[in-house]
Amino acid sequence: MSRGFNRLLDAVVRIDVREIEFNDGAKRITGGVGSGVIISNDGLVLTNAHVVSPQAVEISVTLASLERINAKLVGWDHWTDLALLRIDLEAIKSRRLSFAVADFGDSDDLFVGQTVFAVGTPHGLTRTVTRGIISNNNRYFEDSRGVNGYETGAFNTWLQTDAAINPGNSGGPLVTEDGKVVGINSRGYVGADNLGFAIPAKVARTVAATLVKEGAVTRSYAGIGFRELQDLERFYALSANTGVLVANVDVGSPAAKAGLRAGDVVLTLSGRKVDGRFPEQLPPIQQSIASLPVGATVKVGAKRGDQVVELSVVTEKLESRVGEEWAFEKWGLTVRKVSRAYARENQLADATGVVVLGVQPGYPAAEAGLARGDIITKVGSNTIAELARLKELYAGYESKPEPQLVEAQRNRRISLYVIKP
Amino acid sequence: MSLLRCSLLSFALALTATAAPLPELFQERLKSVVAVEFFIQTEIERQPVTVLGTVIDDAGTVILPGAAIMPSVAPGQLRDFKIYRPGGTESAAATYLGQDAFTGWHFVRIEEKGRTGLVPVTHWQAMQADPALSDELWGIGLRNKDEDFQPYFLSSRVAIMMNLPQKTVVLGSDVAGPGLPVFNAAGELAGLAQPSFGQNFLMFSRNQRGSPVVLVNVEESSVVLLASEVLPHLGRVPKSVTGRPIAWFGAYGLQPMDPEVAKLLKLENQSGVVVSDIMKSSPAEQAGLQERDIILAIDGQPLPRLKPDRIVVSYFGQQILRRLPGDALNLSVLRGTTRVELKLKLGDEPKLVREADRRYFEKLGLTVREFLYNDGIIHRASPGTTEGVMVHFIKPGSAVATAGLRSDDWVREIDGVAIKSYTQATEMLAAIEADQHRAEFVLLVSRGGETQVLRVKLN
Repeated sequence: MSRGFNRLLDAVVRIDVREIEFNDGAKRITGGVGSGVIISNDGLVLTNAHVVSPQAVEISVTLASLERINAKLVGWDHWTDLALLRIDLEAIKSRRLSFAVADFGDSDDLFVGQTVFAVGTPHGLTRTVTRGIISNNNRYFEDSRGVNGYETGAFNTWLQTDAAINPGNSGGPLVTEDGKVVGINSRGYVGADNLGFAIPAKVARTVAATLVKEGAVTRSYAGIGFRELQDLERFYALSANTGVLVANVDVGSPAAKAGLRAGDVVLTLSGRKVDGRFPEQLPPIQQSIASLPVGATVKVGAKRGDQVVELSVVTEKLESRVGEEWAFEKWGLTVRKVSRAYARENQLADATGVVVLGVQPGYPAAEAGLARGDIITKVGSNTIAELARLKELYAGYESKPEPQLVEAQRNRRISLYVIKP
Repeated sequence: MSLLRCSLLSFALALTATAAPLPELFQERLKSVVAVEFFIQTEIERQPVTVLGTVIDDAGTVILPGAAIMPSVAPGQLRDFKIYRPGGTESAAATYLGQDAFTGWHFVRIEEKGRTGLVPVTHWQAMQADPALSDELWGIGLRNKDEDFQPYFLSSRVAIMMNLPQKTVVLGSDVAGPGLPVFNAAGELAGLAQPSFGQNFLMFSRNQRGSPVVLVNVEESSVVLLASEVLPHLGRVPKSVTGRPIAWFGAYGLQPMDPEVAKLLKLENQSGVVVSDIMKSSPAEQAGLQERDIILAIDGQPLPRLKPDRIVVSYFGQQILRRLPGDALNLSVLRGTTRVELKLKLGDEPKLVREADRRYFEKLGLTVREFLYNDGIIHRASPGTTEGVMVHFIKPGSAVATAGLRSDDWVREIDGVAIKSYTQATEMLAAIEADQHRAEFVLLVSRGGETQVLRVKLN
């Protein structure tokens, strides 16, 4: 192999994570293994958002020299499935360790059929290299729950490769023969062979740069569900290579307020022509809105029947469908805040309440009759608009345990429960 | 003289105390039971259904359990009702009369020539008092059609009495086919067997160790609705096949009040139902009922405490359904911590799925039906909207199925044209179907709060 490739091998790490999980009515610590690649001299490690999440309590990185070192989460972005860590540089210094830094290649230059290698820790098998080719360099692969229940893939296309990618490869690099990182391996099709997907280096570099500075990527939200036109141009009487179909407009979203409707065909965004005839053309269109500053105005030119309408959409901040999670241990209850996206998905009137993630058998919440999926909207006479409100009430209960009247909805049916000490 | 008196006395004794031997009673009571066979005609198939029924009058009227027919089936889909006598191979035709909303019973009427030899169940003396714990009751089961509905004898003892909310007894084992009458040793009517309850079993197999399953016996039942709850309602023969008039309250998602909650609210020994959602422009809304109100009493009568808790919801529903549209009702409700009295006038139940206009487009492969008031609740549409049509049926493998259309989708636009009425939709679909040169059409549908544009390729 080339010198570059050998250097790359020294920059790939194994990542062991212990993180909090709130699924069964109690806080539990679970463990996982993934891969990562060191991308800077100051110890930044790029990996997947589904390998290391903000719920991680302990991140341990194994260097190529087989030395273990702790790391901290610097930034996280589930939309591109990327997380950025920093290894403990003090420890590196005091223990006199060294590491190599990987170089990025240009993912735009990749061609279909080009040989690539995946490096990582599949199933815990440290330092595994597999070989394959670029099967497709512009794959559309959106998933509303892809990263541990979080949305992913709406704003970027993916590199598809047949280099074997297994669980544990996640977060490791996809590299060329000369050892340049062209992608971050992240997903495979479950039950399929040799269908692996990686985030292009171009996306990874941009996101990593933002994560270093801000810890998160702020995006704009308009509430438009785009779909490819694919052969519908004739039906909508469109000239060649223009337009993208609006399949859905989120209720109460900026686009809905502006008057955009499902069935409209968007022809221009802020004066620029859009071409969304094929699925892989959708992420750039969505990214063109997401990359605007929050509160920006997008001029949407849309075709509705025989007319062309001009609408002004003022964007909002994009939110995740997964809200903050918490455990109320004496109640044996774990919850997640209802987000606007979750409320929309479930046709709730607003984002009031917390969703029950789990109850522990025998504990007060389970005894009261609460169950996974219930939405707690009120405790006593207090509306639970924010998770903080429930935390306050719980603190009150902890200092003085008294029966609590809890109002919860299940399939839009309101029931009352009593949580008793 | 004295001799004669003596023999009369013994004759009377025979009638009351010892009665006829059970095999004789069994043969006689068989005259009140029938097997009913019919078809449910769907777009692409005929589903045969066989249920058991009890004859209730001399006009050949038969009642069938409510569960015999799914609520979404339109009366027009019910075909070829046939009545078989136990052990018989000859059938008589019958007509479907409709379903009674209060009892849930379906009513059918046997053609005149088929009524010979039938005896209404009301002909048999009903038990004076409700059966008591450990009383022995017996009933009739019928084998399947391939065994000529051969009757057989079942008996068991009363194990428990319950209010569900009607007086019901459960016996130690199965006592009759669901829908058939049950008697005591004297041949007096004890009640009507209901669909049986599920029973918990553990299933063992080579790979699984004791996984829990619930089994429901569909041929026999141990649950009996008492005669005192059956006889007063036999006159509820529907006046029309739709079962109307049906009283309408207009609240959705009624939930029982948990006893712990009652205790916390200082409503010990009280029962209640929590109101989740009030339907717009319904009688409940007009009366001023609000979401989260807890209904405690109707016309001054507190809701009874029933076990299990959820039975109080059925109780409340029945209190509505036993009344008629236009009837007035006083409700006592708890709102927060204050008690509120409301006066309510019941309305007329909005059109039901089984009454909705519908049309099947065979070439396209779908049935659409009117958008109903109740659909508006599910889709959170503004009340009374008639926009769009509902997809009622999708033919597997058809053009619309391939395009991804599903039943219960709400079609909002066809070929980019907003659908304002059912007629408009059916006319457009008919035109598309009739057009030989049509290569495709486009639907905008709403599903779970999100919309989708579906492209249907024809030919």
